[in-house]
Amino acid sequence: MKLTDNVLEIRELVKDFPGVRAVNNVSFDIKRNTVHCLVGENGAGKSTLIKILTGASLRTGGKVLLNGEEYWAHNPKEAKQKGISTLFQELNVVDQLTVEENLTLGMEDTTFGFLRKTDKINAMVSVMNSLEPSISPRQLVSTLSVAKKQIVEIAKAVASESDIIIMDEPTAAISESEIARLFKIIKGLREKNVTVIYISHRLDEIFELGDYVTVMRDGKHIDTKPVSAIHDRSELIKMMIGKTVFEEYTPKEGECKDAILQVKNLSNHKLNDISFDVHEGEIVGFYGLVGAGKTELARAIYGVDDYEGEIIFKGRKLQPAPDKAIAAGIALVPEERRSQGLFTILTIRGNVPVMNMKKVSRSGFINAAQERNVTLEYIDTLRIATNSTEKEASKLSGGNQQKVVFAKCLFADANLLMLDEPTRGIDVGAKSEIYGIIRRLSEEGKSIMIFSSELPEVVNICDTIYLLYDGSMKATMRNGCDIDSEKIIHIVTGGE
Amino acid sequence: MSVETKQVRTNMVGRSMSNESFISLFMVGVLVILFGVACALVPNFYLPQNIINLITNSWFVIILGIGVTFLLITGNFDMSVGGVIALTGVLSVYFCQGANVSQNVLANGLGLPYGVAVALALVCAMGIGAINAFFVARLKVPSIIVTLATMMLARGIAQIVTRGAQRNTSLPDVFGVLGNVSIPGTSIKISVLIMIFLVVVAFIFEKKTVSGRRTYLIGANAEAARLSGIKVGRHLTFLYLTSALLAGITGILLASEFKAGVSNRAMGYEFDALVIALLGGVSIAGGFGSVLGMFVGAIILSVVTTAATGLLLSPDWQFTLKGIVTFIAILAQRFALDRRKG
Repeated sequence: MKLTDNVLEIRELVKDFPGVRAVNNVSFDIKRNTVHCLVGENGAGKSTLIKILTGASLRTGGKVLLNGEEYWAHNPKEAKQKGISTLFQELNVVDQLTVEENLTLGMEDTTFGFLRKTDKINAMVSVMNSLEPSISPRQLVSTLSVAKKQIVEIAKAVASESDIIIMDEPTAAISESEIARLFKIIKGLREKNVTVIYISHRLDEIFELGDYVTVMRDGKHIDTKPVSAIHDRSELIKMMIGKTVFEEYTPKEGECKDAILQVKNLSNHKLNDISFDVHEGEIVGFYGLVGAGKTELARAIYGVDDYEGEIIFKGRKLQPAPDKAIAAGIALVPEERRSQGLFTILTIRGNVPVMNMKKVSRSGFINAAQERNVTLEYIDTLRIATNSTEKEASKLSGGNQQKVVFAKCLFADANLLMLDEPTRGIDVGAKSEIYGIIRRLSEEGKSIMIFSSELPEVVNICDTIYLLYDGSMKATMRNGCDIDSEKIIHIVTGGE
Repeated sequence: MSVETKQVRTNMVGRSMSNESFISLFMVGVLVILFGVACALVPNFYLPQNIINLITNSWFVIILGIGVTFLLITGNFDMSVGGVIALTGVLSVYFCQGANVSQNVLANGLGLPYGVAVALALVCAMGIGAINAFFVARLKVPSIIVTLATMMLARGIAQIVTRGAQRNTSLPDVFGVLGNVSIPGTSIKISVLIMIFLVVVAFIFEKKTVSGRRTYLIGANAEAARLSGIKVGRHLTFLYLTSALLAGITGILLASEFKAGVSNRAMGYEFDALVIALLGGVSIAGGFGSVLGMFVGAIILSVVTTAATGLLLSPDWQFTLKGIVTFIAILAQRFALDRRKG
């Protein structure tokens, strides 16, 4: 078989989700034995594209040619057999097994059910050795660092003769020195006949590592260029964000009110010396990419994670525990709606009053009528689409589930609401409704902190924007005067 | 508010049956069918006295079932209840037996008044509950491991105190009162009244109190519960202490009934308590179930075992029969629930 110049050709690829076209008519080629970077903001369609390639998601339309032949994968295993391996952020290694056992996992040779030592194992081990001699095949994987675990996975992909290895933000969780080692290995993969599709939010890495870069935006393919043809970060950033229109924000009138929350020198395993104030009625946005420390900041303030430093709320030191935070007047809408925010197997009525049972009970006994009325009130004001207070929360749509979580937090009578990714996985209509609720709350004098990885969201509704990168606060901006989205992207991708 | 919106509002509250009520009704249906079959096969099964016996004979599993049910709803097991019964029974006897009255070690106790002996024995029972709570709620050890260990620990102490046998001598007369006095003119014992009282209290706790609601919230989503300000550890501690206390009360009543502290008393009761909870529709995954369901489950089990005895099946068959009924009933439940959801 004559090998084509392009290892992968993507033609008019489309993926529809209900109400959204996540990948819109995307076509581009990936050249053989190169490192091909894929960049774009959150929601640009990168992940969906990758999911289609790895078989985790099925395409709606279009064609993919692998080595010139039509390619379809219905699951990751099939993708791997056909030559596309993936290094997910959640590594696919078994900690309790040795490196050697991990390498051969799923392709062991057996005789009557007993494992057999074969040349295949030796071949694998020698690939492993050529990549990283310091890893012993007999070592338990649990003793390896994250970076070395990644190398084990890469070795496995190389040894199983993958044509393509997809790497999804491999540097998000590893240290600087390990990044250097990983890069050396990635660069060396070209000689081993492997093409790398590399996804990262850290733009510097693209210039260091990439041969080609493809930019996606709003599900569309913007451009594919050799990295050498791109002058600098700002050119790349322009391609990524295009002409984003921020029309909705109108600056608040009146002077600054008192600070309700003061965070001083907050540090922990993920955060690095963060200080800021939140004022009454202010909407504060924390913007940063995945892994920037947004969720960790929210969790620290709420008292879920340990921290050093001082948090002062309404003039008093805040005790670090969720129940104390709620009692003081802080409520959190957590990042993961289904696993952290909602009691999915309970009814709407079971969910809404949870954070303030005192208000619907008397000396420990629940007042059922009051509970129902409160629930009805929130179904009305937040326009939760349901025909009954007794509907199981799991049966609501994503947007309505999020409204239930909101209702829960609003009922807590908090003065400060922390919203972690408040509109993730929600359709456009519900999104704008939620923005409306946030604005209304701020007009009522409540302070709001929004932790988001969607720039338009932050720019549309926040009065003050803080930029986070790698657990540190990198910049502060007043909305309405000096907002420059290119500059923002520059900062949150690690630029100075 | 206009009349029209008011109409809509009442409709919103006018609810469909919850899954919980559905399962409870379903199991009542199963009970009625099983009872019908038993009446057809076993002579005199339908007699009122027999029906009363079906309930009164299960008083001890039902008391245990209350604690086990609530813990199961939070997603945790309590396998220590059988051991706690043995421990409390034996200790109440040991505390109450006369001091230095005999050459026989097993006849000598501490000579405490009955009330004090009972109170102390209950404190010891709650000690076991405290151990459970500490390891499960604080150290986050899986509850099945912790409570299997305390089950053996509790029974082990009972065996040490009785030298592997029982203590039944030199007890004051008052010791045998609680477990043996009946309502005049009936066969209903005080123990049964206590059971009914506890079931009513548990029912109110489950349906009406904030603390009862917390039990469901923790079972439905422990992480969300914590982030909603619920002190999960404290609540689990409360439930483990309560469960141990209920087992302790059962132990005291059984010891009084037999006027003896027997170290292998209530062997396997922890499984019976678990089985009736499951029969009553309590979900092993947490967040779902009810005390009333558990009560129905207990009666189902009672019907099956009584009918088996009535059919002159040898007692050796009891376990097999229980196993088959439990299995079929729980499968039927899952099937019915899935059909309903689908």
